[in-house]
Amino acid sequence: MIGRHPDSALLVEYASGSLELAPSIAITTHIQFCDQCRRTVESLQAVGGEMLEEAASVPVSDDLLDNVFAHIDSDSSQEQSLSRVQHEVGKVHSENEVLGELASTVPAYIRKFLPAEPLKWRFLSPSLKTATISVGEDVNELSFLKIKAGGKAPVHTHKGTEITVVLKGCFSDEEDLYQPGDFIVRQAGETHQPIAAQNEECICLSVLSAPIQLTGIKSMLNPFLSFAPS
Amino acid sequence: MNVRFKSSRKSAPMEEAQDWSACLERVGSHGDREAFSALFAHFAPLLKSFLAAGAGQNSENIEELVQETMVKVWRKAGNYNRSQSNANTWIYTIARNTRIDWIRKQIRQNPNQLHADDIYDSEATVTPHSSLIALRNKRDVSAEIKKLPPAQSEVLALMYFQGHSGQQVSEALNIPLGTVKSRVRLALKRLKIALAENELELEAQEEAHA
Ligand SMILES: [Zn+2]
Repeated sequence: MIGRHPDSALLVEYASGSLELAPSIAITTHIQFCDQCRRTVESLQAVGGEMLEEAASVPVSDDLLDNVFAHIDSDSSQEQSLSRVQHEVGKVHSENEVLGELASTVPAYIRKFLPAEPLKWRFLSPSLKTATISVGEDVNELSFLKIKAGGKAPVHTHKGTEITVVLKGCFSDEEDLYQPGDFIVRQAGETHQPIAAQNEECICLSVLSAPIQLTGIKSMLNPFLSFAPS
Repeated sequence: MNVRFKSSRKSAPMEEAQDWSACLERVGSHGDREAFSALFAHFAPLLKSFLAAGAGQNSENIEELVQETMVKVWRKAGNYNRSQSNANTWIYTIARNTRIDWIRKQIRQNPNQLHADDIYDSEATVTPHSSLIALRNKRDVSAEIKKLPPAQSEVLALMYFQGHSGQQVSEALNIPLGTVKSRVRLALKRLKIALAENELELEAQEEAHA
C-alpha cells in the first residue's frame, strides 16, 4: 500500500508542464505504481484541455494551415523518429548490461533514460551507493540509490529538496516505513537517516535539487557532497 | 495579469455540436484533410493565445509553435483514443509538450537528448478507469471550472497558461507558497478530482479554517 504521494500542487506543475525534467520523471515513475495519482494526472490534463478551450481565440495567419499541410507533405515520416534512431545507434550495450544488477528492478518507463554505458556506481558509505543518470537539465540531479539489506545511509541534512521514489525493497527513517512506489519529499533543512529493511536491499530513484550535507561525518570523506548536475 | 478566461462563455450551438474526437479519428484513420481543417480552424486560434501566454514571445514565433503542435496532431492522430481522453485534453498535452521542448531549446538544455513525450509516458495511460474518467472529466471539469472562485481560478490559470510553478505563482501574486498550495487543493476538490489521502487531511484542516 503506497502511503506517500506527490502533493496536488506538484501534480498540477507536472500536468501543466512547469516542473523540471528530473522531478517529472520521478512523478511518472510514481504513477507506474500508483493508479490513484495516475487518475489524478489524467484529470489534471483534462483541466488543461478545458483551459485550452477557455483560452481567448486569436486569429492566426491566413497561410498557416497551408504551411502545416506543406510541412506534413514534405518529409514527415523521416523527421518523426530521428531522436530514437540517434539514440539506438549510440547504444553498444544492451539495457540489461547498462543496468547490471538493477536489470530486474527498473520499470520499463525509466529504461529510456539510461545512458549508453553501464551505470557507474559510487559508494557513499559502506552500505549505500549511487549511480547518476544524465537527463540534460541543470537544476536537479537524477540518480539511482541502493542501500544494502539492513544497511544505514549516512545521516544527512538537505540543503535543497530531495525526492525519493522507492523502486524495490523498503526503507525506514525516523518518521515512517516506505515501500515500492512511495514518493517521499524532503525539504531543505530536514535531517534524516534512511535504513533499509533487514531482509532485502532497497533501490530508489532520487532527485536532488541541491547538495546535501552530511551530518556527523567528515564531509571531505564523503562523495555525497560532490553534487554534479548533469 | 494578462490571463483571462472568456467572459461568460456560451459557445454557439453549432460549435458545441462539433465532435472533435470524431474529427481526430478521421484524421488518424485515413488522413482526412477536411476533418483536420475543421480541427485547425477551432484549435489553432486557441493554441495561439494559450502558447503565447507561457512562451512570452512575439506572435511570429508563436505561430511556429502552433504549426509544430498542429503537425504533431496530424502525425499522432492515429494514436488518439476517445475512450482515454477528450480531443481538447489530447491536443492540450501535445501543446504542453511542444511548449516544454521549445522552452528548453531556448535555454539550450540539451534539447536533442530528451523530449517531453519521453517524460510523460503517454503510451501507458490505458487503465481500466480511463474511459470512465474521460466521461466524468467532460461533465464535471468543464462545468465546474467556470464556477471556481476567482482566487482559485487565477492560480490555476497562471499555472496552466503561463506555465508557472507554485513558487512562481506565489511571487507573481505576492502570497505565501502555502496559500498557493491550499488554493490548488480547494480548486481540485471543487473540480471533484480525487486526491491522495494525505492531501485530504490537509484539505479538511483548511476547510475548518476557511
Ligand atoms: Zn500516488
